[in-house]
Amino acid sequence: MSEERNMVTVYILGEHFMVPEGSTIMTALEYSGFQLKRGVGCREGFCGACATVYREKGEYKLKGGLACQTVVSDGMTIARIPFVPAEKAAYNLEELKPDVSTFVELYPSVFRCVSCNTCTKICPQDINVMDYIQDIIKGDIASAAQTSFDCIRCGLCALRCPAEIVQFNVGMLAQRLYGKYLAPKSPELETRVAEIEEGKYESEIKRLKVLPKEELVKEYYERDIKIT
Amino acid sequence: MYPEYMNASLKKVEETREKRYALAKERGKEVFTPQSEEEREAVLANYHPDYKDDARREIRIGPNKGERITGRVADVLESWPRDPSSRFDLSRIDYETDILIIGAGSAGLSAALEASARGLNVLIATKLRLGDANSMMAQGGIQAADQKDDSPVLHYMDVIGGGHFDNKPDLVEALVNDAPKSIKWLEELGVMFDKELDGSMSVKAGGGTSRNRMHSARDYTGAAICKTLRDEVYNRPDTIKYIEFSPATELILDDKGQIAGAILYHLETKEYSIVKAKSVVISTGGFGRLHIRNFETTNHYGATADGLVLGYRAGANLLYMDSVQYHPTGAVFPEQVVGFLCTEKIRGLGAQPVNKDGELFVYPLEPRDVEAASIIRECENGKGVKTPSGLTGIWLDTPLIEMLNGEGTIESSLPAMVRQFSRFDIDIRKYPILIYPTLHYQNGGLEINEKAETSIPGLYVAGEASGGVHGRNRLMGNSQLDIIVFGRRAGTYAAEHVLAGVTIGRLTLEHVDRYSEKLEKLGIDKKRISPVILPDYIPDHVKAKQLTLNYFGTLT
Amino acid sequence: MENDKTETVKIPYFPGCTLKTTAKNFEQSALRSMEKLGVEMVELPKWNCCGTVSSLASDDLMKHLAPVRDFIRVEEMNNTGLVDNEYRMLTLCSMCFNTLKQTNIRVTSSPEDLQSVNQFMYLEKDYEGKVDVTHLFELLDSMGFDTIAERVVRSLDGLKIAPYYGCLLLRPKSVGIDNPENPSIIERFISSLGGSPVMNWEAKSRCCGSYHTVDNKAIVIKSVKGIIENAREFGAETIITSCPLCAFNLDNRQEDIMKEFPDFDPMPVFYFTQLLGLALGLGDEVLGLDDNCIDPRPLLKRSGLYE
Ligand SMILES: Cc1cc2nc3c(=O)[nH]c(=O)nc-3n(C[C@H](O)[C@H](O)[C@H](O)COP(=O)(O)OP(=O)(O)OC[C@H]3O[C@@H](n4cnc5c(N)ncnc54)[C@H](O)[C@@H]3O)c2cc1C
Ligand code: SF4
Ligand code: SF4
Ligand code: SF4
Ligand code: SF4
Ligand code: FES
Repeated sequence: MSEERNMVTVYILGEHFMVPEGSTIMTALEYSGFQLKRGVGCREGFCGACATVYREKGEYKLKGGLACQTVVSDGMTIARIPFVPAEKAAYNLEELKPDVSTFVELYPSVFRCVSCNTCTKICPQDINVMDYIQDIIKGDIASAAQTSFDCIRCGLCALRCPAEIVQFNVGMLAQRLYGKYLAPKSPELETRVAEIEEGKYESEIKRLKVLPKEELVKEYYERDIKIT
Repeated sequence: MYPEYMNASLKKVEETREKRYALAKERGKEVFTPQSEEEREAVLANYHPDYKDDARREIRIGPNKGERITGRVADVLESWPRDPSSRFDLSRIDYETDILIIGAGSAGLSAALEASARGLNVLIATKLRLGDANSMMAQGGIQAADQKDDSPVLHYMDVIGGGHFDNKPDLVEALVNDAPKSIKWLEELGVMFDKELDGSMSVKAGGGTSRNRMHSARDYTGAAICKTLRDEVYNRPDTIKYIEFSPATELILDDKGQIAGAILYHLETKEYSIVKAKSVVISTGGFGRLHIRNFETTNHYGATADGLVLGYRAGANLLYMDSVQYHPTGAVFPEQVVGFLCTEKIRGLGAQPVNKDGELFVYPLEPRDVEAASIIRECENGKGVKTPSGLTGIWLDTPLIEMLNGEGTIESSLPAMVRQFSRFDIDIRKYPILIYPTLHYQNGGLEINEKAETSIPGLYVAGEASGGVHGRNRLMGNSQLDIIVFGRRAGTYAAEHVLAGVTIGRLTLEHVDRYSEKLEKLGIDKKRISPVILPDYIPDHVKAKQLTLNYFGTLT
Repeated sequence: MENDKTETVKIPYFPGCTLKTTAKNFEQSALRSMEKLGVEMVELPKWNCCGTVSSLASDDLMKHLAPVRDFIRVEEMNNTGLVDNEYRMLTLCSMCFNTLKQTNIRVTSSPEDLQSVNQFMYLEKDYEGKVDVTHLFELLDSMGFDTIAERVVRSLDGLKIAPYYGCLLLRPKSVGIDNPENPSIIERFISSLGGSPVMNWEAKSRCCGSYHTVDNKAIVIKSVKGIIENAREFGAETIITSCPLCAFNLDNRQEDIMKEFPDFDPMPVFYFTQLLGLALGLGDEVLGLDDNCIDPRPLLKRSGLYE
């Protein structure tokens, strides 16, 4: 390589390693010789597999982040959290009501929230976690669903919560209640499903299926395009 | 922020920007003369990954023997099983189930839910965790012809035209007919689709669609769907069991040639276990992590074509494994976003690709393959910029967008891109981004029919692992649809197959032995082992010291 | 109308979660009644449940975070012009009132505690200690029950109403809105609406059983039965309360009592803002009498207060 790479020191579980500057925590681990099996998934910030806590040199604050999205700094101490033991209520969505009573029953811990905001501070997705928990207490399921939507289930909030709330499962339930019961229904969708079941488009598709290729190609390039 | 050593190059880009801006003002988008047919042919032939002489080679073994397919795929298929069959005692069954589902992306999870709904016992075995999959990563959307001015017929046309008319018509018919029903199913499970105030779906256009039919859930469409399906799987512990960190490494057949189960390998305890099943669904996704021709990829860590290997060794044939979907502009810096997509819209808005000397070298809106090949050419000719992690890329000069379209354009038109890069202190309104083509999607796969059946009785395939639905080119938004439609079909028909009454005979790995004999005859290097399971990112200088470990492209 | 001329006062309002979830009609009647009295209750733009329901055994200061966050909101409302130099923070629910006020006393009387809390919440502005937690009864009192009497359009003539204080409005003394031994504020409220307060009944500040309603219904049933019977002995036709949970217990648990004691004679229970609204001329759509468990309408009809 023509350019020399600057190296920085990191402490993986307290142990000292030299890794290239600009590495993510994830690539730093790999550079150091760990072949990852746990704590890695999409590698792009979508799956939440790679929750990690770390402390930067000279800082008292314990920070949390995604190993695949966080750049190492010189003197950083790193501990990965590949798994979060979390309570998940099993439920039948068909039988639930989209209101606060459902949470009282399935996730009573929600009501222990002391508003410390620790969850929000650590969330790598910058979600206002405390706010969505509070939304539930107030019975505003729609707001809880919208606020928690970008959650990727990394589990960091739940680990830090002094009230032992499993925010990500609570948020997921709010989202599903919203999607199923509270979001307004699409009239076109119902109509189209019924039309297809009645076989409205069957003969036309059957015709296309057996059309000789040249004719199909011709029809394809002549099809009318209406996009906005 | 960019490392200091890039400053010289950045400065050159800045110096030429004014001139290039004037050029754009004067000549519109044609700031560079588009390539002639001969030029295109030349750049493709010399630089496009699929056109390289050694991109494809003849596969010498198995059902597709004699066909020319992507070289790296052929390599993985012409590899030794992880362990000789003699080491497995098939009379010692560890798990017995009605239906075994291999791979827990949205295709596998959908299949599990449908089979469970029919009262059958399901076992999901997956490589990492449930939902650690490409399914989780889709941002753009999912197609379905549910709008008034749209119809499944129009959708059919778009799919088959997009696939260069190579798609299997029965599969396309199933895909478009099931689409609205699938959206409804997802919504009833609680997926929050983007909607207008009156409840109608917010739909957008996508490449190759003749109507607006891209449904989305913010830019987390895939995650919204996959998270919901996974949550529902967790809700059914009575019928659906799952084993994580346990990739399947071989399929088991019975003496009648029916599917009969699989061997699982636990990544941590390194135990193998035998699963006996009356039916098996392969939903292992794509192959981005094979890094075909050393390309970076948009794919998740476990996308290593394992399902293809398993199915192929058991006798299922492949379709269209000669085509690979590359996207011309994947990020190469910062390291954290390497391989990520940088949408085509960036160039549409006027950003120009320029080399390390700040020179424009290609018309910014050539067809994807030509654009990609030209970028590769520039880098191979030493005109690229090296990144700290050893990759090479060229600049995509985003600041031009605001010069041409006014301040605020980037933030309003490309908010996700802005956020992605600002996380790493790069303001794409002020600085260009570094890009290189990236490996995106496996167009082909194991051949199925409209019931998701393969030629092996009881073996079903769904999702990116299957071949035929998209022909040689998949359109955006149809893969998310594919995995729901064929995931559900696989689960449903596998359940019907079991309910119709299946008797499994004597379990056997003889198909693996026969395959191995052929490998032996071909003289395949014993170090070549598949399925690959996980890519290997340990640097050589460390590996050289790991004396008791062996990687060989696979886990030990 | 008269109050169109008088200037409206805007006061920050903390609803609390009970009013938002199980007792929405109580809130409506409060908001609309106060509108008629020239007060706009401006809900805190973002608020946290005060935490009464939390049974968390954590370090002591932790419990005060939620209230302090809410106080900071009130100070912010003043800074952003949502209200004008108005640091009273209005509550309807006795429980919220009690919890919030206790915290306020704690942090404003101990600079060290205030500092610890402020430091912990480093992302928020500091709480400066300006907020005055006010129960709606106190506000009405300060406006003058005479003034309220002047606005009554439908006098609750002769209706015999037992004022139920419960335990949280009066105790502890530092927090209570009236003399804990001999309170009179609800009595005066009832009189201002034209009703006859039942005086000196014994159960007026007896605990209704509170959250035991969830885990030990029997306790609540026993307690509520005693309270209702005592009120009736003293001639009451109905009971009013200021706490949504009291209201729930007193009202809804009577159904359970009836199942166990077929002879039990139920008594309607009002939330105080329902009666206030009724007297100020608000209609059923605001009062939400339909949502009360023991239907109060027959009683109101008999008294000529409902058509
Ligand atoms: C970044 C990105 C963006 C995309 N955007 C879109 C989009 O906007 N619209 C669209 O339609 N499509 C999009 N796609 C494509 C689409 O998301 C995928 O093709 C689709 O999700 C594949 O789903 P699947 O269930 O078949 O496979 P996956 O979701 O990849 O799931 C496969 C699962 O199988 C597991 N597995 C693999 N091997 C084994 C084994 N040996 N044993 C056990 N388990 C195994 C994997 O770990 C994984 O969990 C995108 C893809 C990517 C990567
Ligand atoms: S809400 Fe919790 S689990 Fe979800 S992303 Fe934020 S910290 Fe992670
Ligand atoms: S960490 Fe727990 S207690 Fe603290 S605000 Fe978040 S949910 Fe509430
Ligand atoms: S006292 Fe009760 S109702 Fe009031 S905010 Fe607190 S918890 Fe909610
Ligand atoms: S609910 Fe019971 S405990 Fe609470 S204030 Fe009312 S009387 Fe007291
Ligand atoms: S690996 Fe998926 S979020 Fe980091």
